Amino acid sequence: MSRLGVAALAILVAVGALALAGPFLWTIPPEATDPAHGLAGLSAAHPLGTDELGRDVLSRLLHGSRVTLLVGVAAMLAALIIGVVVGAIAGYSGGWLDAVLMRFTDAMLAVPAFFFILVVITVSGTGLATLVLVIGGLSWMPVARVVYGETLRWKTAEFVIAATSLGVPARRLLASHILPQAIPSLVVSATLGVAFAILTESALSYLGLGVQPPIPSWGNMLQRAQQYVFTAPALAIYPGLAITVVVLAFNFLGDGLRDALDPRRRR
Amino acid sequence: MVVGQEVVRFLAQRIALGALVVVFASALTFFFVNLAPGGPASVMRFDVSAEQREALIHRMGLDRPVPERYVEWLAAAVRGDLGSSLLTDEPVAQRIGERLPNTLALAGSALLLSVGAGIPIGVVQALRRGRAVDHVLSLLSAVGLAVPVFWLGIVLILVFAVSLHVLPSAGVTGVASDSLGDRLAHLVLPAVALATTILPTIVRFVRSSTIEVLDEDYIRTATSKGLSPRTVITRHALRNALIPVVSAIGALVPRLLGGTVVTEAVFGWPGMGRLALEAAQGRDYPLVTGLTVVVAAIAVAASLAVDLAYTRIDPRIRLT
Amino acid sequence: MQLLPMSFRPSALILVAALAVSACTGAGQPAASGAPSAQGQPVAGGTVTIPIGADPTLNPWSPNAFVESLFINRVIFEGLTKPGKDLAPAPDLATSWTIAPDGLSWTFKLRDGVKWSDGKPFSADDVAFTFNDIVLKKELGAQNAASYAAVKSVTVVDPTTVRFDLSRKFAALASFLAYNSGIVPKHVLSADPLKTTSFNKGTPVSTGPFKVEKYTSGQSVSLVRNDSYFGPKPYLDKVVFTVVPDPNTQIAQALSGDLTIMILDNKAAVDRVKTASGLTVVSRPLVQYYWLALNQTDSRFTDVRVRQAFVHAIDRKAIIKSVELGYGQVANSPITPALKAYFDPSLSEKYPYDPPKAKELLAAAGWTPGANGVLQKDGKPFQFTMDVGQRGVLEPVNALIQQDLKNVGVIADLNTMEWNAYIQKDVVRRDYTATVNWWTYPSDPDVFPYYHSSAAGKGFNIPGYQDPKLDDLLVQGQSASDLEQRKAVYKQLQAYTSETLPYLFLWYPQEIDVLSSSLQGVPELGLRDAVQYIGEWWLAKK
Repeated sequence: MSRLGVAALAILVAVGALALAGPFLWTIPPEATDPAHGLAGLSAAHPLGTDELGRDVLSRLLHGSRVTLLVGVAAMLAALIIGVVVGAIAGYSGGWLDAVLMRFTDAMLAVPAFFFILVVITVSGTGLATLVLVIGGLSWMPVARVVYGETLRWKTAEFVIAATSLGVPARRLLASHILPQAIPSLVVSATLGVAFAILTESALSYLGLGVQPPIPSWGNMLQRAQQYVFTAPALAIYPGLAITVVVLAFNFLGDGLRDALDPRRRR
Repeated sequence: MVVGQEVVRFLAQRIALGALVVVFASALTFFFVNLAPGGPASVMRFDVSAEQREALIHRMGLDRPVPERYVEWLAAAVRGDLGSSLLTDEPVAQRIGERLPNTLALAGSALLLSVGAGIPIGVVQALRRGRAVDHVLSLLSAVGLAVPVFWLGIVLILVFAVSLHVLPSAGVTGVASDSLGDRLAHLVLPAVALATTILPTIVRFVRSSTIEVLDEDYIRTATSKGLSPRTVITRHALRNALIPVVSAIGALVPRLLGGTVVTEAVFGWPGMGRLALEAAQGRDYPLVTGLTVVVAAIAVAASLAVDLAYTRIDPRIRLT
Repeated sequence: MQLLPMSFRPSALILVAALAVSACTGAGQPAASGAPSAQGQPVAGGTVTIPIGADPTLNPWSPNAFVESLFINRVIFEGLTKPGKDLAPAPDLATSWTIAPDGLSWTFKLRDGVKWSDGKPFSADDVAFTFNDIVLKKELGAQNAASYAAVKSVTVVDPTTVRFDLSRKFAALASFLAYNSGIVPKHVLSADPLKTTSFNKGTPVSTGPFKVEKYTSGQSVSLVRNDSYFGPKPYLDKVVFTVVPDPNTQIAQALSGDLTIMILDNKAAVDRVKTASGLTVVSRPLVQYYWLALNQTDSRFTDVRVRQAFVHAIDRKAIIKSVELGYGQVANSPITPALKAYFDPSLSEKYPYDPPKAKELLAAAGWTPGANGVLQKDGKPFQFTMDVGQRGVLEPVNALIQQDLKNVGVIADLNTMEWNAYIQKDVVRRDYTATVNWWTYPSDPDVFPYYHSSAAGKGFNIPGYQDPKLDDLLVQGQSASDLEQRKAVYKQLQAYTSETLPYLFLWYPQEIDVLSSSLQGVPELGLRDAVQYIGEWWLAKK
């Protein structure tokens, strides 16, 4: 894989490690308020300063990384599951089911996702589960297309035809023989999917529709920080940078994987 | 332009499909929004008494069952009547009509900007592939894609409007004056911010597409025949390289329209994205449904236009 | 480990550079804070620009007239009275009024020769129409109708005299008539009082010093001087209300000189704004107070010691400092300092921040420390959920209160909700345990609707507190006939409510206004009241 891809992987591993272990090592609770020391600058006690209520920014960033990554990965998984099911069924069945499912996929792709996410979230409330389902529910289409393509390709492979003649049921064929061929493409889709989910969650949180306080997420830290952009702009910089770095890393990783796993692509 | 039977059939099919998508979108939205907790913002006020609330709900007809109201809405919509906004009593079509040009202006400029800048950048990257310029531009592209657009918006406002005072910070036009210059000045920052959501992707497409074409045999033949690189590029490579880019643009239109929601929020741009947010928060059921219909229709129409253009540009493609 | 790859340094640098540039340009002369000094004689001419958050609805009685509509409606529509500069009701369309001896009818003498902006004469018919056909017609659901629950009907005595007939004594009527109760024209709205969009969203017909010239949706509403106005000619030529939904953008526009006066909702930016040259920053009193409602149907909260303990546990001064940047004062009753004639300052130091005292009171009420320091009674921990509506400062306030309660062993979980859904749950269904919010009300101490036992359940008595002694005081305040009597009653009411805490009073906020240094003549009132004197505003030449 390209050096950039490897570097991205390294960064993501580091971020993941921070997300997992950070809160255990840096023990200030993210919701501990200390209004007397709000908007404090960098100090030994608070390496990244404090927010308007005196809460430690580093702690909120660490805890927020958990939530942001969790929502990102979970939403991507949801998209993956839906996409695989739709794409595999469409590709394998052929006929009218194929046509209907793929037209439906095209239709969903044609619709501006954000508008729908907006409406749905505004009305169904902002629980984490809703957020994950909604983001996942509006980003499965590229996955479905990829799986569809792969299924079509491998459906006519010799070993698959052989297996069918031996009476192997369709479900097992798909699960054990066809879909594994699609894994490289799926991995690429997955990494890009996490990037999309993180950006979407942060945009929703900016509008007040994402992860709700007091749970910190990078997105909702940006929403609060917007109020203080004139007095303490650093508050907006850290979460914004964090999002940019992680999304960038996922994008690079996806690109790197795509180049590494698909021998036919030329740089 | 001769419109063959094939094209007509294709068009008819796609329009029918498109209409189905729009209706489906409207139903989904209508039911979702109406089944949500809360009610229209005029009713959900702290200072509204229980009596007033009941009177208002009855006046708005919201005490009737949802399916009944949807059928009524659909029947009217088909005749072109999208109902009246619950929060302003104006016709929904009028409300949307006021905002649509603004969103189109914003999205259109962002698209123009992205294509206008994206094609040259992508071509340069393709021509200089593997070199420093290519790497730097790729990196910038990647950053542009990763930066949250609202964050970028705030930074742009801070730098250009607040600190340097060279560009306005919000709105469509100046308070005191309203010339073309004013309008253009107000368009710059939001269009640039919005463009970053699709520019990198376009650049990428142009780059890889140009690379593929440049490596094709017929280009090598032309170059070996002694044609100048410039002629080779413009006359042969570019035209063919741009074909897949056209369809890529079509796929990016939904993302662009979605991006307007946040961009309009940051820049106080009175467009449909902001209207959608306000309407959803205010539970203005007819307006939300109407907006979804219009946005879906635009996306479908854009996709159709792109596909049609695609078939015109590339004579090898048949309509299926 | 490199967490900041090279590519990000440029944007961070630009930001730092931008701030440096802005700090330098602002450091010229620090603008004076406090009241702007009147400079010389008023000059005529000029345009004042004021930002509002969304498209307004130009009809004070429409349920769709939200906060952004207030400003304009108060400028163009006039009521029978308006808030005086001391907040007592002053004459506006009515020149004087008398109350019948039994207190059940009020007669208002109307000004002569007033014309609507379309030239038609104003008369008592318009007043009768406004009240009988809009406010008192229940099925229309007009806004603010609840304030006039005591009014049975309005009768035209002669073209310049109207009589309000009441079902009970209502001492505050004149004050309420000054509060968002503009009279609207019968000859334009009689067909459809609340939904005539050419009026509500276009160019309404009005009597005020300025009238609407142009309404551009999503952008601005511009007003021009009304030359048929009955009062002294306003100095300004035009007033433009621009639609700027984002508070930060409002600040940015103020800093770049595009706005003349605005309310600084985002108080955190006050220091930044103070350093800008050409701007003046002032603080203004408001008739508003924040409270914590503990649902009285929950038996844990019916013991007054628990309520008092909570108030001792919450560091209200810290909340004011952190959330309102110090622009506010601790509250211990529903009467705000802005109501100078009635406010009792002796209660200000009640309930100092005292967590040990809070624990003491809770212990007296039967709550003892259990596992992890959490208080418990009969084996059940003191834990409940507070609903948080997403608006204004409620989110940070709740976070601070949560922490304060935790320090005394009470666990309050926060349930943050979108505003619309929050209203549905907490106000419409009253399905809540505890919640923080605020009341704003007309400049009158009559707080009957929020405290009377009849208003529990479906009315505005959110905690559902029912106390006959309090009811009695409230009714006395409404029936009292002269100022001295009312003062005495409301002094008692303040003392009583601060002891019994139907709501847990938190603080009285102040408003921060930012104005261009050239703007003069603005009275020392909150902007929403000051606009009713917009005829006296003028712009000094630079």
